[in-house]
Amino acid sequence: MKYCTNCLLPETHETIEFDEKGVCNICRQIEYKKDNIDWDEKFKDFEKILDVYRGKNTYDCIVPFSGGKDSVYTLWMLVKVFKLKCLVVSFDHGFYRPKLLDNRERVFKQLGVESIIYRPNWLTTRKTMLETLIRKGDFCWHCHSGIFAYPMQIAINYKVPLVIWGEPQAEYTAYYSYEDTLNETEEVDEKRFNRFVNLGITADDMQGMLNDPEMDSRDLDPFKYPALRDLKKINYRSICLGSYIPWDVKKQVQLIKDELGWEEDLNAGIPPEYGYEKVECAVQGIRDYLRYIKRGYGRTTHLATIDIRNKRLTREEGKKLVDEYDGKRPENLDYFLEMLSLTEEEFIDIASSHVVSPNENDFAQIITGPKLPDRDKWDKSAPLSRKYTEKKLKEHGF
Amino acid sequence: MILHKGASLIAIINDTDSSNIRSIYNAVYTLGYDAEVIKYEALSDKYSHLIIPGVGSYQSALIKNLSQTKEKIHNYAKSGRPILGICLGMQLFANWGEEGGGANGLGLISGEVLKLPQDNGLLLPHVGWNTVKVVKSHPIFKGVKDNVDFYFVHSYHFICENNANIYGYTDYGEDFISVVGQDNIIGLQFHPEKSQSNGLKLIDNFCNWDGEC
Repeated sequence: MKYCTNCLLPETHETIEFDEKGVCNICRQIEYKKDNIDWDEKFKDFEKILDVYRGKNTYDCIVPFSGGKDSVYTLWMLVKVFKLKCLVVSFDHGFYRPKLLDNRERVFKQLGVESIIYRPNWLTTRKTMLETLIRKGDFCWHCHSGIFAYPMQIAINYKVPLVIWGEPQAEYTAYYSYEDTLNETEEVDEKRFNRFVNLGITADDMQGMLNDPEMDSRDLDPFKYPALRDLKKINYRSICLGSYIPWDVKKQVQLIKDELGWEEDLNAGIPPEYGYEKVECAVQGIRDYLRYIKRGYGRTTHLATIDIRNKRLTREEGKKLVDEYDGKRPENLDYFLEMLSLTEEEFIDIASSHVVSPNENDFAQIITGPKLPDRDKWDKSAPLSRKYTEKKLKEHGF
Repeated sequence: MILHKGASLIAIINDTDSSNIRSIYNAVYTLGYDAEVIKYEALSDKYSHLIIPGVGSYQSALIKNLSQTKEKIHNYAKSGRPILGICLGMQLFANWGEEGGGANGLGLISGEVLKLPQDNGLLLPHVGWNTVKVVKSHPIFKGVKDNVDFYFVHSYHFICENNANIYGYTDYGEDFISVVGQDNIIGLQFHPEKSQSNGLKLIDNFCNWDGEC
């Protein structure tokens, strides 16, 4: 496989391109972010937007919130620095870990925010997970669709037109660039939603795919992106804080630890020094393992590339971490398989059907990583029935 | 900075019943604005924005009581409220168009509408996606990248008397003027309502435009 000569991303990374020096477009975007954007000017732009919306509605803005590092930092900034009255909307994907819940409690109390924590129907959620795992090699449809669609529904229902997210996509992929950030053309809207968030599957598509007479079709309403007209009627703006201040994860993590007592956690497939990453999801390691099978790199690569671009690691140091941590079978795969009533062989078959060329896998070489300390506390109620899973596998030729 | 102001009520002209106004109406509606489809004679102070679409020919589109209509629309234009002409609607801004033996236009922007040159081997009508090069910035192009494609269907093009009215060109064998403007009036030879997200952005910008350049 071909790799970026600056960071460690391979040619299988979505939206990647290499220039004549072999440097990837994501690295170039980050250079653009550092060199070409007048962040003082952007900060003023942000304040101008806030002036339009501040004090006009029941809340100044909605902050979609998982409790991970980015949304905690975003919320801290909006409450403490910009002095906004925020309505926090947390779409609970069903896999929050114990420490995340403790963090959330701590953050909400100290910041004095009001919050809506919303959990969609689990019986339906698990079916969408199996469906998109089989069809796309990615079981996170319910989480990503819900996280991005549901707060927009709340914006309409509560008539709060301003929705503020965390980091812009330009930080990680080239669906949008920091040039878009400069020109305000990356907005967190339905176009962005359909472009990559929802795997190309709308809630209506999902209903047809599940084709499940036992399911109430309203179960999928939380995953529906609202009509543009309804959003425009409230004069909505849906923007990333990271389009107006330069995103720097390491600095921000330190800040939320100092200011809010936010705590890290251990996670599958990454070095302990990255204990701030993706603490909000018990099955993150499975998603990262799927990416490793499909694209040949895991989350340690992702993390090391960020540090390399920010000159906190050399490429060689990053490579060493990647060799040590990427590509391990996460121990909690057993938990995931149990919840979806899959065998490991079936899981590997499905994942292998989504491999991105030219990546290849040698499963004999893959060893299992360590068990996460909170793993025995995860709830295992209501897994999919084996009958349902078998029916679906058969439907798709597995 | 993009700050939304928002039109209160948009008038869409459908004077001859020959215009295809459904797609522009839907675009405006989708974007959260309210519109009414009216004839020129119903133009009044209640409208904040005016859109003149147009499918048809110069002659068929115009204009039963030209002098009355002209007076009506010139008075409207003087009020400073934004006016958008699309395709034939833009061509009607001119003084005169040669299509179908020739007819007078609204005379809002000095110029004539002539057939696209046919000596370059390209077929008419000019149909499909083509690039618009914006040569002079305008509020309705805010947030739209330069040199993006829009959807065209036409055989005639606008010739401006004053270069100051030219905002954009498109190449079909040779450059023709695809965007014209003057004060609170803007005309597009292409169909923004059939041009996906970039087109929708233009319409949204128009609906947010206060008519100042």
